[in-house]
Order: sequence, then structure tokens, then C-alpha cells
Amino acid sequence: MADLSADLGFRVLKNPVITASGTFGYGEEFLSFYDLDLLGAVVMKGIFRQPRPGNPPPRLHETPAGLLNSIGLAGPGSEKLQEIIRGLHARTPVPIIVNVCGEDDDEFAEVAAIFSAMDEVAMLELNISCPNVRKGGACPAQDPGHTARLVRRVKEKISKPLIVKLSPNAADIVGVAMAAQDAGADALSLVNTFLGLAVDLEARKPVFANTTAGLSGPAIKPLALKLVWEVCRKAYVPVIGIGGITSGRDVLDYILVGASAVQIGTINFREPAAAKRIIGEIEAEMERLNINDLSAIRGKLEA
Amino acid sequence: MQDERGLIEEARRLDGGYHLLKIAAPQIAAAARPGNFVMVRVSPSLDPLLRRPLGILEKRPPYIWLYYQVLGRGTRLLSELRHGDSLDILGPLGNSFPEIAGKRVLLIAGGRGIVPLFHYAQACGERRPLLLLYGGRSRADLLLLDRIKSLRLQGIFVFSEDGSIGRKGLLTDGLEKILKEERPDITLSCGPEAMLARLAAMLRPYRLENHASLEALMGCGFGACHGCAVGTVSGAYRKVCDEGPVFPLEEVRWPT
Repeated sequence: MADLSADLGFRVLKNPVITASGTFGYGEEFLSFYDLDLLGAVVMKGIFRQPRPGNPPPRLHETPAGLLNSIGLAGPGSEKLQEIIRGLHARTPVPIIVNVCGEDDDEFAEVAAIFSAMDEVAMLELNISCPNVRKGGACPAQDPGHTARLVRRVKEKISKPLIVKLSPNAADIVGVAMAAQDAGADALSLVNTFLGLAVDLEARKPVFANTTAGLSGPAIKPLALKLVWEVCRKAYVPVIGIGGITSGRDVLDYILVGASAVQIGTINFREPAAAKRIIGEIEAEMERLNINDLSAIRGKLEA
Repeated sequence: MQDERGLIEEARRLDGGYHLLKIAAPQIAAAARPGNFVMVRVSPSLDPLLRRPLGILEKRPPYIWLYYQVLGRGTRLLSELRHGDSLDILGPLGNSFPEIAGKRVLLIAGGRGIVPLFHYAQACGERRPLLLLYGGRSRADLLLLDRIKSLRLQGIFVFSEDGSIGRKGLLTDGLEKILKEERPDITLSCGPEAMLARLAAMLRPYRLENHASLEALMGCGFGACHGCAVGTVSGAYRKVCDEGPVFPLEEVRWPT
């Protein structure tokens, strides 16, 4: 039997499949589909200090094999999420990762401290890369200097491992990745959604109130894989690959370019039990490739 | 809530781009309540990526009936399925119309908005006095009339914009008269946004109990993606998929 475990250095996950923030609700929405303990970990939908209404509809626009979203990080606020996490943890031992958001650096640090103090939380993911909060899609992950300052600030306030989630909309994602790890990130996750635009031809207006939106789904996989490969070549902290994964084979593609684990996102909407299927496929694929553990192919791309 | 492999028992193409599917889906059929909907995977291909939300027209376990109009690529692919084909269906999803005892209920359906109301009327059987106000652009939007007549409602009032069936005009043209003469206690409505917005304005002075079933673009259908938000008068957004699709008509912030 193949060993699917994924080593993040600070923690070994039972397999490399993590469900991505914003695509898995607060975990509880999926409890009726499968036992979440099958997963490497779950990432909660991004959270701010206070409740947020999110963006006005429409919030979704389907594209060929993809999805543009402008949800705007709607959420119940930190206090309510603490309650939700306690409830989820009581029902499943799956490691819980909190996706930490902030309007400014102070808020990022404050929210990170709140969840770092929770025993039920395994690690934090710093969401410095959501494109749907500010008009034009600006986010800290577009600036290596800002990223470094913010990561240092947050690290001072927390005791849990910190994953920093990067944006593909940075001019130099490798530079931002280096800034994050040098500032103390324990791992990097990439990519968040690609900035995209949909227009209403008849009305001559953008589809979304925020004009641009974030593209995810199978359509972005080659773009994301290339960025993960580039970051993995330089990074000394573990990298979690994200973007368009729909199969076990896709997961191994990310491992091959150097990722230690992956996050699966948009496919959860189409197929609520996708992660369960994908974990089974990884095992079958490893058998076919005649490898016993993921380190046999991790970072072994000959290019 | 189940992700069930349904088997198409009958696929009928009707006029006006409407289709009627009879699907064997025993678990969903057993659990479905009036107002619930399902998410159907229209193709095994990753394009189109998302499932499509469709209301449940009728259930008689092990069967459910879906009635939909071809509006885009997803529904066009769905319309290519035939008897014997299988279809992944997630459901039943969403809330349902409230249980109502001993009251006079007026159902108000615009076009394919008949779907959840038909299910409600079917579930009520002949136990309850139900009235139906049913409107559409033309005869093709009101194809279910024959099927509705078998439900033995207490009264059916039909309007079409082109006058091809029933009275000529919008269903809202007939609303005041029905409210005054039939004196319903409760309205259940489903239809285009503009129709529901107009209903909300017209019904306000009557102080009835009003519930509307909403249509929305959806990513997942079970509350995970937050993509199907609808604005409410309190300023908060609510998810059509798992906090709805049935809402108090007055609670929704309608476009002006």
C-alpha cells in the first residue's frame, strides 16, 4: 500500500489533499458527503475580525472550464468562526487551517492572534492575495516589501505555523515568495485566483460590481502549475500547490514540480465528494507509477 | 441531501424550448419537499464546469420530474439527454414552502415559476383550497396547464401577454380582483424578478402572509460558495441555496 503522507516540515499530513479556502465553506457543509478525516486538512473560508456582507450579486460567472467569482469574502466574523470551529472539531479530527484576512496589517495580526490561540486550529493561512476586496484587485501579495512587513508582524503574534497564500497577479511571484519565506513564513500556498474580466455586451458594463473578479477551475491549471514550479525551484519552505485540480493525476503533477501538498478548490462545487475520489485516484496513480511515497517524485521534474 | 445517479425514464421536448424530464432518483424522490430544488451535472466534461439548479416539478417515488427551459449551454446539453441516459443529481436542496393549515392559499406563477408551486399543489392533493394565478408571455410559457387541471384546484386564472391563452395581459393585472373576491390568506409565488418585485409592491397593503421562491445563479447549491446571494431589506445578504430558495416576499430587497 502506497504511503500518501505529505510532510510540511512542521507537520505531517496523512495525505497531500487539503480543501481550499472559499471553496469548502466552514467544513460543516460537506459533512454529509464524506468523512472529512479522510483529508490532509481543511481550510476555512477567509475570515475578518467583524462580520462582512460580501459583494453585491452577481457574484459568479461561469467561463469555459472555469469560474469567475467576486464573493468579496462574505463571512460571520472571528467570534462566530471560533464557535463554528469548535463545533467542527468536535465532529471530526481533521486538521483545521484558518484563512486569515484583514483590511489592514493591524487586522491581519489581530485575527491571526485570535485563531493561533485556539487549540482546535492546526495552522494559519495568511490570505494576502484575495483579488475581490479592493477595486482593481489590489492586495498585499503584489508587493514583496508589504508582504515581508506583514508576515513579520503576524509571526510575532502567533505560535502556530503560518502558510502565506500568494497571488498570481503579482509582477514577480517568486520575489514575493522569497520575501514571505525570509520574513518567517513556514510554508507558501499558491495560487489564489487570477484576475479576470467579464463584460455584459448589451449593457456595455462589467458583469461584476467590482469590475474584475477571480478566475479559478481547470482553466487555470497550466498557468498555476508553471508558477508553482517557478516558486518551488527557489523556495526552501514547503509549497502547497493550488489551481484547477480535478484528479489524482493533477495532484501528482503539482508534486512533480515540487509541491509538498495541494489544495483543491472549485471542483468541490461541482462534485462535493471530489476530494474523496481524488485521494483514491492518487493511490491508484502511485501504484501505476510504481512509487511507494510522494518523495519519490516530489520536485523530480526534469526540465 | 444525496449526490445520486439518476436514470432518465422519459425526456420530452415541448414547445418554446421547454423540456420535461422524468428521472428515477429514489433517494431524492423520497426526501423531496415542495420548494426544494436539485443541482444537475449536465455533462461529464469539465466544461461546463458547474451544475445547474433546477426546481422539482413533481415527485412520485422513485421518480422526480424536472421542467426547464433551454436558456444557455448547460440547459442545451441537458436537453440532449435521452431515455436510458444517467445524470448526476444533488438534492433535495434548499428549504420548502411552509406548512399551512386551514388557510386559503393563492399560488402565483410566472412562466417556469410554476415548478415549485406545482410541486406544492401536488403535495397538498385535494385537502386544501388552492387558487392559481398563472401568467406568461404566450401559450408556450403555460404548457403545464393540462397537467395542472388534473390537480383539481379551486380556481385557475390564466394570463398571457400576447393573448394566445387566457386573458391578455400580465398576471399582476388580475391580482387585485382575485385578492378582493377570493380573499386568500397566504400567497406563494415564483417567477421573474420583475414580477416578484411588482407583487411585493401590490401585496403590501393587504397584509397577507407572502412567500416567494427565488431563482439564482449558483456555484454549489449547498451553502459552500456564497455565490447566490440575494439582498434583503435589513441590508444583509442571504444565500438563495440554503437559506432559501423560499423567502418572505417582504424580506427581499427588490430592484426599483
